[in-house]
Amino acid sequence: MIRAVALLWSLGPLLWQLYTSLRPADSLVSGNLGLGGPGGGIFSGWTLENYSQLLAADPPFWRYLLNSAVVGVAGTALTLLLAIPCAYGLQQQRGALRWGTLALLVAASLFPTALLFLALLEWARQLGLANHLLALALPYAALSLPLAILLLRAALADLPPELEDAARLEGLGPLQRLRYVLLPLLAPAIASTAILVFLFSWSEYPIALTWISREPLLTLSAAIARIGASSVFTIPYGAFAAATVLGSLPLVLLLLLFQRAIVTGLTQGAVKG
Amino acid sequence: MSALELRQLGRRVGGRSLLSGLNLRVEAGECVALLGPSGCGKTTTLRLVAGLESPEEGGRILLGERDITAEPAGRRRVAMVFQSYALYPHLNVTANLALGLRVRGVPPQERERRIDAVLELLQLAELRERRPAQLSGGQRQRLALARALLSQPALMLLDEPMSNLDAQLREELRPELRRLLCGGEAPVLYVTHDQQEAIGLADRLALLEAGRLQQVGTARELYEQPRNRFVASFLGRPALNLLPPRDGRQLGLRPEHLRPVLEGGLAARLLRREWWGSQQLLWLESEQGELRMMLPAEQAPPDALRLGWERHHELWFDAATGERLVRSP
Repeated sequence: MIRAVALLWSLGPLLWQLYTSLRPADSLVSGNLGLGGPGGGIFSGWTLENYSQLLAADPPFWRYLLNSAVVGVAGTALTLLLAIPCAYGLQQQRGALRWGTLALLVAASLFPTALLFLALLEWARQLGLANHLLALALPYAALSLPLAILLLRAALADLPPELEDAARLEGLGPLQRLRYVLLPLLAPAIASTAILVFLFSWSEYPIALTWISREPLLTLSAAIARIGASSVFTIPYGAFAAATVLGSLPLVLLLLLFQRAIVTGLTQGAVKG
Repeated sequence: MSALELRQLGRRVGGRSLLSGLNLRVEAGECVALLGPSGCGKTTTLRLVAGLESPEEGGRILLGERDITAEPAGRRRVAMVFQSYALYPHLNVTANLALGLRVRGVPPQERERRIDAVLELLQLAELRERRPAQLSGGQRQRLALARALLSQPALMLLDEPMSNLDAQLREELRPELRRLLCGGEAPVLYVTHDQQEAIGLADRLALLEAGRLQQVGTARELYEQPRNRFVASFLGRPALNLLPPRDGRQLGLRPEHLRPVLEGGLAARLLRREWWGSQQLLWLESEQGELRMMLPAEQAPPDALRLGWERHHELWFDAATGERLVRSP
């Protein structure tokens, strides 16, 4: 029973969104929700109109999906590229240097990003980064780094230290130890960190809104917001719902894919010698 | 091949001395067991010699003519078998062995030949494709040993390599380990807290306590001529009986040296009998405190008995310092 409630609690809004996206645009406000009202039963009045509208728009909706994917992948890659060596280096340190840095990172990851974005906007203007899709990856990586380093450092600390000792004695240098011994064992942690970073950049709104103004370069969150506010007179609930459904689909797919990678991460990340 | 020599080796961490003034020489082909209770500095010594930690109290590590004190771990040509084995969990048996050779630039054919040979030697050839998690405890231990032997080290270090195995397997593996390790060309330093293992494997024992070397010698020398109270009580099972100190001196008597006598000696009352196979261990209460005594299993001791011993079995110690007083009074 509790499980059923929990399931309904978490899936309910999503299902409602999905339902709305498949109903005629005015059904929400006209009171015709297909639940036995004057318009007919639950089996009538389904439509893909909201979706076709989105995909036929200029620029078509998939363009925003692509933009978000590009920014997300670039941001995630940049984050991992920096976070892995940082975490490794940090783990090598002892005493006050390590714990001091960790405390700073925790503080940084707790900092409310909303306070940053005006300053970031100023930077973007000065450096000419506005309206560059890939430039968005920079603040995303910067904002994700503290958490990514913390997660990866914790994962490194969980590995038995003798493994690295053994590799040292076998003559492996720091980079070789990272490449052949530590990274394969960190694969599950790297995968879950990557997902978190990707989710963050996929749904990030204020920076995307302020840095990008040209329509074809908008990322998903900014684009959806724009759809929601496209008319002064009505709120296009149908189109809005369809956009959120389309926007969530890649995430759902990604999580399903990565879930397997996390579970079997150890075997998948193994390096054949 | 050449001997290992440790000179005044010490290590201090946060004001606490883990090891100090250690002098030890291990000849080429000799196996020395570093023996002592937990936390006595055995593992610290190994890690210093391996180069995984650096001696902060000075001291030097010589391998033949080479002073390796400041050399990085990877260049010392030292192999180590870890207590946890430290096998790479993501690599199968062959890959576990190959990684070190590959990094050192051993050509593939040579690599394969050496791996085949060592797998054959340690009876692991059937298990090539297995990952460490798919091996039994004994097989993992053999793989760890194989990895160490494979690098043809100038010095072999083992850190309690059998502590994760059950007692029976440990005993079975001891002769095999001795055959593989000792009598080779490299000196072997073997850390253990198990005296049985140390006696069975090593040519000489080096007994450590609280970061200080207490005595070095063959098992028999340490047993018969212990330098101090610690050595005397650490070595030998059941442990030495220490009588209460008197006049600044303390008498130690080994349980196996006590025997029942008809008159004279020490009066004692039987508390408990423990059956040890061909022997039995008696727990006795006397005016000198609780005593242990070994007796052949078939003898049935009376509840009250008198204990005697030979004068030459007496071990006298300075009550304050614990040093052995060689001339018994």
